[in-house]
Amino acid sequence: MSRRVGVTLLGLVFLLAGAGCGSGHTLFAPVDDRAAVFWDRQDTQSAALMRELVETFNASSGLLPIRWEHAGGYAEIFRKVSAGIQAGLLPAMAVSYESMTSEYIAAGAAVPLERWIHDPVRGLSEKDLADFFPAALESNRYAAHGNRMYSFPLAKSVLVMYCNREVTRRAGVERSPDTWKAFLEACRAVRAVTGKPALAMVPDCSTFSGMVFSMGGDVYDGQRLLYDGPESMAILDLLEVMVREDLLCMASPGTFDDNIALVKGDAAFVLRSSSSRAYLLRVAGDQAAGLLDIAPIPQKDPSHPATVLFGPNVTLFAVPEEQQAAAWSFVRWFTEPEQSARWAVATGYIPVRRSAMEHPLIREAWAQWPPNRVPYECMRYARPEPNVDGWQQVRVLVERALVEVMSGTRTARDAAEWLQRESTRALERAVRAEGRTAGT
Amino acid sequence: MKTTGSNGWRVGRVLPRIPRVSVRTLLLYAALAGGAFLCCWPFFWMLSTSLETFQEAMAPGLSIWPASWHWENYVEAWRSSPFPRYFLNTFLVAGTVAVAVTTSAALAGYALVFLRFPGRRLAFLVSLGAMMVPFEAVFIPNFVLIARLGWYNTFAALIIPWCANGFSIFLMRQAFLGIPSDYYEAARLDGCGPARFLFRVALPLVRPTLSVTAVFAFLGSYNALLWPLVVTADGSRRVVQVGLTVFTTESGVQLHLLMCAATIVMLPSVLLFLLAQRAVSETMLATGVKG
Repeated sequence: MSRRVGVTLLGLVFLLAGAGCGSGHTLFAPVDDRAAVFWDRQDTQSAALMRELVETFNASSGLLPIRWEHAGGYAEIFRKVSAGIQAGLLPAMAVSYESMTSEYIAAGAAVPLERWIHDPVRGLSEKDLADFFPAALESNRYAAHGNRMYSFPLAKSVLVMYCNREVTRRAGVERSPDTWKAFLEACRAVRAVTGKPALAMVPDCSTFSGMVFSMGGDVYDGQRLLYDGPESMAILDLLEVMVREDLLCMASPGTFDDNIALVKGDAAFVLRSSSSRAYLLRVAGDQAAGLLDIAPIPQKDPSHPATVLFGPNVTLFAVPEEQQAAAWSFVRWFTEPEQSARWAVATGYIPVRRSAMEHPLIREAWAQWPPNRVPYECMRYARPEPNVDGWQQVRVLVERALVEVMSGTRTARDAAEWLQRESTRALERAVRAEGRTAGT
Repeated sequence: MKTTGSNGWRVGRVLPRIPRVSVRTLLLYAALAGGAFLCCWPFFWMLSTSLETFQEAMAPGLSIWPASWHWENYVEAWRSSPFPRYFLNTFLVAGTVAVAVTTSAALAGYALVFLRFPGRRLAFLVSLGAMMVPFEAVFIPNFVLIARLGWYNTFAALIIPWCANGFSIFLMRQAFLGIPSDYYEAARLDGCGPARFLFRVALPLVRPTLSVTAVFAFLGSYNALLWPLVVTADGSRRVVQVGLTVFTTESGVQLHLLMCAATIVMLPSVLLFLLAQRAVSETMLATGVKG
């Protein structure tokens, strides 16, 4: 997730750099007149499935065909869109995180989706809408922009805990710890037996948000940030204790060293997105099913669980109506149970509609390896992070504070105070910048 | 070893004399060998990883010998992206850019050194200034221009913005400065025009620098990723570096395939460098050619 930090910061630089040559378009020219282009970031295997799904859709839609394009990683996609906004040339849609969409909205490039969602022909019925996980939809509403939906979820993932069963068994930890207290004890037991840190963790803002949620808290209450609140403090204190007792191994941001440590038995626990499980299973190879396990992240009160919702969305751009219609129709079609179940089984993402969970493909995946079911159960109580303007800058600060606590260079108390002060300033700066943009 | 024969003559084989090597030289060679090893290590590691299984490649540590050799990784990596098409596009783009940059740099460098015209100094300063503007600063204006010209997803977008650059002009100017002005004046007295002097006298004298300019331009274009990714839409115009991006996912990297593809993509540039090595060395060393 730390890549996302760099992604949007770079994009911000590009947007600001390009502001001087902007031409104030309200309607953008499409990159292809004869197709609704979709800029996406799938890798070799998922790209093959995405192409297949796009072909299936095109064969029966009767609309402009969708043309799927691999546009690099999120950083490159953000750069392409940022440059496209300045040039007045955009695709029909692009994959995006909420922080990226916020920038597109500010530049006048993203279109609100209510008119498509409630379109009598192509829209979603009340029954359809009720079928979506509420959090998956809510994360696409932008409070700073009239609480309208400017992006739509294709598939999601949640923060879960991966365990190395071999290591935990050796340490006498038979069940995945369900509270943070039990988790700390489990880590101590692992350390006593293996002599190695029990938790491998990448300093990541979303992971921290999920941990705070699981403590019963929040990171933003709609008015102010809560990094000096008791729940944030509790997590930072926990990390500080784990560092002091050598229970925690920090993996470099942007790497996958924590996953490798887990599979090789150099760590017992890893906190990661549920979409990592396909990759982790592959790294573990033949022994994966017996070696790895997935559990909900520990909680303060397991009867009121919470975790964080991950996963990119898709933003539709202000291109001619014909293009938007095709793009929206594809998004709607993609989220239907049949397609989303195929996508979920192949990629490790979770469908955004509840009914997809009844699909035979999903049931088969659960039967094949029961831990596959855990992320789906977590979806019921997963919550998104704030999507306020300036959140991307806050992410950078959170990750810096985490690095400092996890490397033992700053105490939890100091880090919380610094983080609260600096992140509040970052949001204020973003609000001022937004005001300037709106005023010009 | 020497022995004495029956006739009293000393016969036998004389061992070759071992040259005396000072400790200092030994230490120097050891340091150089160490440096060479460090430089080569990433390449060994890349080759080794390219032949490992996915699980081996993801294992921690820097093992350099695969447990078993998986040459089929190269086939899989080759099929993961339309590499034949990407290579064709890359050679077309990088080759054209190399020719264009060399031509523009030679003409500009020559004019800056041998021709007298108002604003000559300013023109040189502007070309130096262009060297100091980072790519990020011209990225959006360039893209806007390309889009408005209707060049999105065309070879023109990949080639034309990179047909001239300040560094190459600077390099060629420095090379032409090494030619004594007496040559130019003598040639002019003999009735040789500026163009004839350029092609018959000056360019042959700066051939190594010309080669280096071409090599640098080719490699710069060959290694470009962001610009080709941004200004192209599909495989029909994309280049090899873009092909490498498909091996990185949000959850991790297919390291063994990425290393296979990196090995394949690296080969032409290594070959080119080996061919042009002499010219590169000469240019680097001959910065102070005296007339």
